[in-house]
Amino acid sequence: MTGVSLPLVLAVTGTSPATMLVFVIYILGVFLLAALSHRVLNRSSFLGEYFLGSRTLGTWTLAFTFAATSASGGSFGGFPSLVYSHGWVLALWIGSYMVFPLTAMGLLGKRLNQVARKTGAITIPDVFRDRFESTAAGLLASCAIILFTTCFLVAQFKLGALIIEDTFNISFRFSYEVSLVVFAAIVVFYTAYGGFRAVVWTDVMQGVVMGVGVVLLIPIVLTRSGGLENATHSVHQQLPTAVTAVRGPGEQKGTFNDLAFQSLREPHPTAVLYVHPGSANAALAVGERSVTGGTPDTVEVSLATGARGEVVSTANDVKRAVEAHPIWGAALEVLIPYRNDQVVTERGTKVHKGATGVIWFPEGRREYHFAFLRGEEFVFGPGRKNDGRPFHPLGMIISFFFFFAIVAVGQPSAMLRLMAFKDSRTLKRSILTVTVVYAFIYMPLVFVVMTARPELPLLTPEDSDRAIVLVATRLVADMGIGFQILGAIFIAAPFAAVMSTVDSFLLMISSGVVRDIYQRTIHPQVSDQTVKRASYTTTVVVGLIVAILASRPPDFLQTIIVFVGGGFASTFLAAMLLGLFWKKTTHQGALAAMAGGLLINLGLCLPTLFEGARMDFIGLEPSLWGVSGSLVLGVVVSWLTGPPPSHLVERYFYGS
Amino acid sequence: MKNDARQEDPVYRHSRREGILILALWGLCLVYTCTYCYLFGYLSHEPHPNPVGPTLGEWVGPLTAFDRDPSTLTTPLGLGIPDWIFYGVILPWLLCICATFWFCLAYFVEDDLGEDALATGGANAGGES
Repeated sequence: MTGVSLPLVLAVTGTSPATMLVFVIYILGVFLLAALSHRVLNRSSFLGEYFLGSRTLGTWTLAFTFAATSASGGSFGGFPSLVYSHGWVLALWIGSYMVFPLTAMGLLGKRLNQVARKTGAITIPDVFRDRFESTAAGLLASCAIILFTTCFLVAQFKLGALIIEDTFNISFRFSYEVSLVVFAAIVVFYTAYGGFRAVVWTDVMQGVVMGVGVVLLIPIVLTRSGGLENATHSVHQQLPTAVTAVRGPGEQKGTFNDLAFQSLREPHPTAVLYVHPGSANAALAVGERSVTGGTPDTVEVSLATGARGEVVSTANDVKRAVEAHPIWGAALEVLIPYRNDQVVTERGTKVHKGATGVIWFPEGRREYHFAFLRGEEFVFGPGRKNDGRPFHPLGMIISFFFFFAIVAVGQPSAMLRLMAFKDSRTLKRSILTVTVVYAFIYMPLVFVVMTARPELPLLTPEDSDRAIVLVATRLVADMGIGFQILGAIFIAAPFAAVMSTVDSFLLMISSGVVRDIYQRTIHPQVSDQTVKRASYTTTVVVGLIVAILASRPPDFLQTIIVFVGGGFASTFLAAMLLGLFWKKTTHQGALAAMAGGLLINLGLCLPTLFEGARMDFIGLEPSLWGVSGSLVLGVVVSWLTGPPPSHLVERYFYGS
Repeated sequence: MKNDARQEDPVYRHSRREGILILALWGLCLVYTCTYCYLFGYLSHEPHPNPVGPTLGEWVGPLTAFDRDPSTLTTPLGLGIPDWIFYGVILPWLLCICATFWFCLAYFVEDDLGEDALATGGANAGGES
């Protein structure tokens, strides 16, 4: 749920002093936390403190680091963007968060923490290695973490660089590279210097700010936009608007649909309303042919543009412009009959693609294909993607209920936090805290975006990632400096979110290399001083390598992010569950579960990485098959290779 | 087996009991929310556009009878939330919050998680494999 870009926001807001101030304060705050963490680090046992915070997380730190790491940048970027694009069906999309705190923290938390304490485990591979007394299990876990995490970090570094580039409105030949270096320098420095505790405290700072931000935003938006009831009925009855789009090939000119946003008169683009009353293909038709002041067949309406030339008018704006015109308003009635539903047959299945069209941007630089959505499509499921296909069909409903609530359990970053709390009372209170925090964030975010949606301009996918920022900046712009800072916080939030994700993953790779591969496999007698140097150096080197890879990043970032989330769960979830809760699990079974899950998920996702179609058997997401297959393999292979050594069963399942 | 059960690690026993309940609650929510919202909140019940393997329709018959008529939209209690989201997501979400509080305050056992080998320098805290 990530993917952040800012051009439209900056077009609307510019880089305000409030934004600059918030950014600077945030960065200073991060460095301060790193310095404080380093002081704690100097007073503690290095490895345990650097990679796990000495297993002393309290209620608030556990709750907020868990919430912030799970939420990531997507919660305030990608998720509101999807709400903007597809409407109320996103409440169902995110529905499994109703049980997320229980599943993600309660399912493994107490038991994983206990096993980690028994062995002194600092990392996830430590747990596998010790629980099964298997170096192979530990190494396989380390390799999987390093592989997936590196892919993920490349995507996140790119996002971080783009946010800096756009937020500070930097645009020159190497602006991306410069932004990347700045981002890498900040995040690598404070992560390497402060370790796990700095990461956790940063998460807490971010979580508190975001939680407070949403809570403050709810009454403002509901009051200023006329309330949710009004908004829902307004959206339900609204005219079709172009809400989703992707970059398309450039061979067609803007007559694809009866409404085309086209750059006819520079610098202002124009909506050309082709007058075809009653036409079966009319998406936006004008009801009368006789037009004074226009050509016999067309009426042209100037569209508003942002600072970078992008169209910010909607079909509703066009309708209002026509109605307000002294001549056209009296003579014409703008209708959007939505009668050109395109139906295609794919692999023997009839697919309704809705009304589609093309937006041409000024100077012919970009074009976007889009689907017109009827008002009711924002209020009911399944929604419609930019290519006209259903957004959230049955298979995806089930998959996402599984993905958010169960796949989240299998993320090493989440498991690591469950190894770090100090006692079971802390876990209990943290579950309750996260339950309340999520209740105040996710569903209210749907309310906020749906309420404010009629006030927002046309947003392309890149821009719609900033929907929540637009809500904050547009609705609070005239409410004084305090509220402007609130808007600026929302602009800074995705940056903070990306940083909180990156630092956690940087440490995971570093711990994988230093602790799991070097200390526990290659050189067990290594001195503390060497471990310390190796940890700092590895974190920096990994950061540099990822930054270099991110200087030429792949385009399919969202695919990578989803792939990594599913890959982690497919590899670790079943093996960890079996290891903690099933006495008959053997190390061969754990290895089979990890390797099998990894390969299943990789096999199903691989076509996507080569621009093919992901293999969704029975319409279900690959991670569901990966986790299920991993579980079956773990059970079957354990049965075949059992029983496990009795001393391991005794140690982990009997006595206290 | 009864002897085994009595000697089992209490943290393991309690965690297993709690885990089963959590999975049961998740399963209940999945079945209710997915079924309710899909049946009563969808304009169309189109088959998956890019199926690999069988589709639900092939197993249970056509679902198009449940296609929602947009004019039937209601917003319970005047909250502005579509009926199918209100009954399919919001209501169970509120119940889940109650269930979570009950779970934590009445069902969850505050077990002693034992000594930390990391702090005592035992086990593999120092890196011995």
